Amino acid sequence: MIDIIIQLLITGILLGGIYALVSIGLCLIYGVLEIVNFAHGEFLMLSMYMTYWLFNTIGADPYISILIILPIFFIFGAAIERIIIKPLINADHLNQIFATVGLSMVFQNLALLLWRADYRTITTAYSSKSMIVGNFMISFPRFIAFLIAIGIIVILFVFLKITYTGKAIRAVSQERRAASLMGINVDRTYQIAFGIGIAITGIGGAILMPIYYAFPTVGNLFSLIAFVVVVLGGYNNLIGALAGGFIIGIVETFSGFYITPHLKEAIYFALFIMILLFRPTGLLGRKENA
Amino acid sequence: MKFSKNGNKIKSKFIISRKNVINAILLIVLFVVPLIVKSPYYRDLIFMMFFYAIIAASWNFIGGFAGQISLGHTAFFGIGAYTSTLLYLNFGLSPWLGMIVGAIFAVLVGIGIGIPSFRLKSVFFALSTIAFAEVLRLLSVYFRGITKGTVGLLIPFKEGIQYFMFRDKLPYIYLTLILMLIVIFVAKFIRDSRTGYYLMALKEDQDAAESLGVNTSLYKLIALIISVFFASLAGSFYAQYLLFVDPDTVFSFGYSVNMALFSIIGGVGTVLGPIIGAFLLTPFDVLLREWLGNEFFGLNFVIYGIVLIIAVIYFPSGILPRVQKLYKKYFFKNILEADSRKSDEYRKINEGEKIIDKEFFLKSNILKADSTINKGSALLQVKGLTKKFGGLTAVSEVDFEIKKEEIVGLIGPNGAGKTTIFNLISGFLLPNNGTIIYKGNNISNLKKPHKVCYTGITRTFQVVKPFQNMTVLENTMVGVFAKTKDRILAEAKAKQLIDFVGLTRNRDFLAGNLTIADRKRLELCRALATEPELLLLDEVMAGLNPKETEEIISLIKKISQTGITLFVIEHIMQAIMNLSERIIVLNYGKKIAEGTPEEVSKDKKVIEAYLGEEYVTKC
Repeated sequence: MIDIIIQLLITGILLGGIYALVSIGLCLIYGVLEIVNFAHGEFLMLSMYMTYWLFNTIGADPYISILIILPIFFIFGAAIERIIIKPLINADHLNQIFATVGLSMVFQNLALLLWRADYRTITTAYSSKSMIVGNFMISFPRFIAFLIAIGIIVILFVFLKITYTGKAIRAVSQERRAASLMGINVDRTYQIAFGIGIAITGIGGAILMPIYYAFPTVGNLFSLIAFVVVVLGGYNNLIGALAGGFIIGIVETFSGFYITPHLKEAIYFALFIMILLFRPTGLLGRKENA
Repeated sequence: MKFSKNGNKIKSKFIISRKNVINAILLIVLFVVPLIVKSPYYRDLIFMMFFYAIIAASWNFIGGFAGQISLGHTAFFGIGAYTSTLLYLNFGLSPWLGMIVGAIFAVLVGIGIGIPSFRLKSVFFALSTIAFAEVLRLLSVYFRGITKGTVGLLIPFKEGIQYFMFRDKLPYIYLTLILMLIVIFVAKFIRDSRTGYYLMALKEDQDAAESLGVNTSLYKLIALIISVFFASLAGSFYAQYLLFVDPDTVFSFGYSVNMALFSIIGGVGTVLGPIIGAFLLTPFDVLLREWLGNEFFGLNFVIYGIVLIIAVIYFPSGILPRVQKLYKKYFFKNILEADSRKSDEYRKINEGEKIIDKEFFLKSNILKADSTINKGSALLQVKGLTKKFGGLTAVSEVDFEIKKEEIVGLIGPNGAGKTTIFNLISGFLLPNNGTIIYKGNNISNLKKPHKVCYTGITRTFQVVKPFQNMTVLENTMVGVFAKTKDRILAEAKAKQLIDFVGLTRNRDFLAGNLTIADRKRLELCRALATEPELLLLDEVMAGLNPKETEEIISLIKKISQTGITLFVIEHIMQAIMNLSERIIVLNYGKKIAEGTPEEVSKDKKVIEAYLGEEYVTKC
């Protein structure tokens, strides 16, 4: 019994790290631009397809393809920010929401058009390998994905803490007008933050590919996870998002084992609605964020 | 003045008749076209146009009028479709009754989900609606026993009006058309009523609306209930038309987006915008599908996505408002009235004005402040008022009293807690301790600013909060509606108030286009419109030049003469000394002095607070 719980906990934590990485881009973008990117999951989907094609054309290992995906998705994100987000930065919520909803429609259906609705997976030498530690089994690709996820998150935190750009991003997220008075180029900071958010999401797609499958609407599921994680963590709190990721990972493994994996999404949603209803500031959020 | 009134009168009559003729022609066209069109293909198209118009218009009640963006509106559409279908299949209940049951059920669910979700910021409201619709979709997939899961429910065909099933498409078309006309009628009715003004106001600025007596939660809920009711009916219509219900169609996210898309393209928040959007996009959709064929399945949605993005970036107000603008520009150049909504009713309003002149405003005062309390006795008593923000005590153990028909000043250095006291009195904050007694009733726990407004206390805001996209007249009417439901009466009274504060020339300007001085006047005007007995003015002179300040001071004096009690925060010392009969001084959340302006200006503690300790000895 205890063994089962520990095993579930390990699986949940590994999954949680990945979920945290998948969500943290959304959180960063919301924190800085105050825009919820409804196309978040679609960026992840595109990166999964890219990983798939890199693997199937030039045989790039998913973990290696991160090096290719990172710059491409940064530029991709920055470009999308310039074209779609920037004109709407001071617009009504309605316009902001539907701009990214529109973007998500475009990406999802473009994927459907180009690659059909088939599920695509990649099989690497380590796809189904596991490590046995004591009585517990740890899936190898999940473990690697976890390490990469945590590594990227640590790098992000350090970047935000010590570099000028990182400090500018934090300053803008706290008070954009004051930041601009201090000589920070707010527009540029928005663009960089959006680019970083998308680049991280791109990495998320790459590390997911060996353990999951790509299909045009896969973004819906991960958008949902990211929304739940971000709300759990208190909206614009990166540490909160990290914690939220772990909570969702653990909840998913336990509910999958004890209830049913078929209702996995319904459980996320129920959790999501419950947090919004009973603790609208998020589990780890402060009051003014509500 | 008389001349222009007459001029308008003639022209407005002309508009009315012309408009009615156009409406009648449109109506005839709507009823005749389905008869002329014989091909089932085009009849299907007509049905879909009416059907999409209904769901777009139903979304528009909550998303457009109330500005609460729902991205999960299919939830209610699906509830309607499933309820009427399941009731018919399992209990043989006529879909006519089933759809009413479904709509009532949807309304109850809507209330359950709406009340808690309205507290959320708009984006997260949208998210929670998505989540809700998804939960319903997943549950309807999961509970196969009842819903047959993804396979869906088939309704066996059985012709008969009592079963809401017809061999021909024509009855469906006419029934949908009638429902669409009902939805338009309800939208028009809401738009022109107090509820419509309140919804516009709360969409623009929730706090300002609350301060003017708008129960924002209630009105959002009203909008949601109407919206959900029609969405659910549309769901039942849809099920009866296709005789098939499945989770992936009726709960699809795509439908939710479409509802909004039609409204955005046509003109979100307008009566006819969603209808126009649906009428334009539905044929476009059909043509596009045909043109693309199965080969390029998905491309149509790519195109919609792009249309949506371009629309929100470049044409956020939609087609209808633009067309109206052009129409006005070319056809009604010489009509002074800016807004067609008003010119329609011009004659009636003039008549209304006359009635009001006789019945209400023949008294010398425009503003009446009837009260059970006599001049000089206590109107507001504050005792031991304390408010803490985390570790900071913003207001600490403050006691004071305001007498009927007094002008009391509240001063103190920045951060002394003045605005916090206003927030506490007006119900925007709950005190940690202490009581606020107004006319003998404790109002410190009312929680909702609109309730405080109804007791007779209205406030203005330090940072003015005009409803930017409403005209000065409409802004003021929102205030007047605290005391009357009648729009014609409200409009007439608002006009008199606008004259009173000196905004006559700007009456039909959008509040967002006013100068800062005029915005401050508007803020006063709106607050006065609620007929307050006690008016809280938060720095109405800040940022004004000396001439403007003088004008506002004389206006405030004029207001005071009508018998309204005033409690004024002000930083301009000269003004507050000149104006107030009594002054209360705050520093670090504590009351440090109280008295006549002379007494206060000689008080050592006050000098210390403002100028520092060393000045005290010098004096």
